[in-house]
Amino acid sequence: MGGKVTCTLGEVKNRGDFIIYWGGNPAECHPRHFTKYALMPKSKFLPNGRKDRTVVLVDIRPTKSAKAADIFLQVRPGKDFELITILRAMIKDQKISAEAVAETGVTLEQCTDLVARMKKAKFGCVFFGMGLSMTRGKHMNSAALLTLAAEMNAFTKFVAMPMRGHGNVTGADVVMRWQTGYPFGITFNRGYPRYNPGEFSTVDVLVRGDADAAFIIGADPGATMPQPAIDHLARIPTIVLDPHITHTSKLSRVHITTAVAGISAPGTAYRMDEIPLPLKPALKSPYPTDEEVVRRIKESIAKKPFWMPDGAQMIAAQV
Amino acid sequence: MTLTVVNNATCTFCGCVCDDIELHADDVRIVKAKKACVLGTAWFLNHTAERKYPDALIDGKEATLDEAIEVAATYLHEADMPLVYGMSNTTCEAQRECVALADLLGGLLDSHTSL
Ligand code: SF4
Repeated sequence: MGGKVTCTLGEVKNRGDFIIYWGGNPAECHPRHFTKYALMPKSKFLPNGRKDRTVVLVDIRPTKSAKAADIFLQVRPGKDFELITILRAMIKDQKISAEAVAETGVTLEQCTDLVARMKKAKFGCVFFGMGLSMTRGKHMNSAALLTLAAEMNAFTKFVAMPMRGHGNVTGADVVMRWQTGYPFGITFNRGYPRYNPGEFSTVDVLVRGDADAAFIIGADPGATMPQPAIDHLARIPTIVLDPHITHTSKLSRVHITTAVAGISAPGTAYRMDEIPLPLKPALKSPYPTDEEVVRRIKESIAKKPFWMPDGAQMIAAQV
Repeated sequence: MTLTVVNNATCTFCGCVCDDIELHADDVRIVKAKKACVLGTAWFLNHTAERKYPDALIDGKEATLDEAIEVAATYLHEADMPLVYGMSNTTCEAQRECVALADLLGGLLDSHTSL
């Protein structure tokens, strides 16, 4: 779990009587989160469903999710870190300045009320979305919120969980952690894994023009990345595996069509709480699976001379 | 044309990964996705098992899978700093192969998480 204080969605459903959504819009991005796990279900320790739960939304504007919440706190854009830090001070009864609170866009009364409710909760859970982790402060915001959740355990049970986006991004984190010890931003250029986001993360590598070939699978950076990164992808030999001809396919040297995970390809995907679930494809694809194609490319490379003449220690893919 | 029903199918469109979907499918398309939300329904119904695209493209021209695999392997092998990126919309089994590929290449490995 990478050291975070967290739990499964099953626990949220059965025990979570105080739910905070921070910088996310589940009503539109994770439509069944409310009904299956966090708000509606009647469960063992919350027999009255929604009535047994208090729901808070923290965001920069009232989204559709605000209607589902009991309390909406409108934080000023880019002030999430400040607000979290104030809350961390307040739960420990430390002095805070009125100006610092005023800057966040939330009033002192609202903060006091929130802290009181957090401490009164039996089982608190804060879900955070891209509105927190992709804005000013980025991973420092997530780290601060995870710390707040951890520190709340001095008073009551409290957990935090990221609301992960589309597809199997959680699985990518988990598989990389399992195989290399790190979740992303890795290089093997010394024969063993090293981790340094900012240096080895893709946007940075491409904008600097470092990589001289790219293998893209289950993503479309040609549609999402900044232009200089896309320009570099077009300059170097890029290989794309995708069920569709994507923006990236159009600037690539090689495109291979593959089956769609979960629709026509079997396998495993991770839920946002890091629970692996089997996929049950309903269709038979005329195309091979990603797994098969990557394995065949790997096998073809393995027949060529090894890049490091003296041969470094390799991590074998575990079966 | 036969109609198959898959019970407790898994939707991977968002991080909820709902595993209680009932899919009704004929040979080429899913016609109904019970219990799925609007996003999930669109995801299931918009993908078909038709052969819409060529097996592979090399420099924009149609190619066979075998050719494309060889060319891809050559490009990656020749590179000094190859990058393996993405892995969002794929299975853990494929992700495992990607890690092994980056390891074998002595290359970079990264996912959407770093954005
Ligand atoms: S059915 Fe809806 S909520 Fe469930 S995984 Fe699919 S998109 Fe997400």
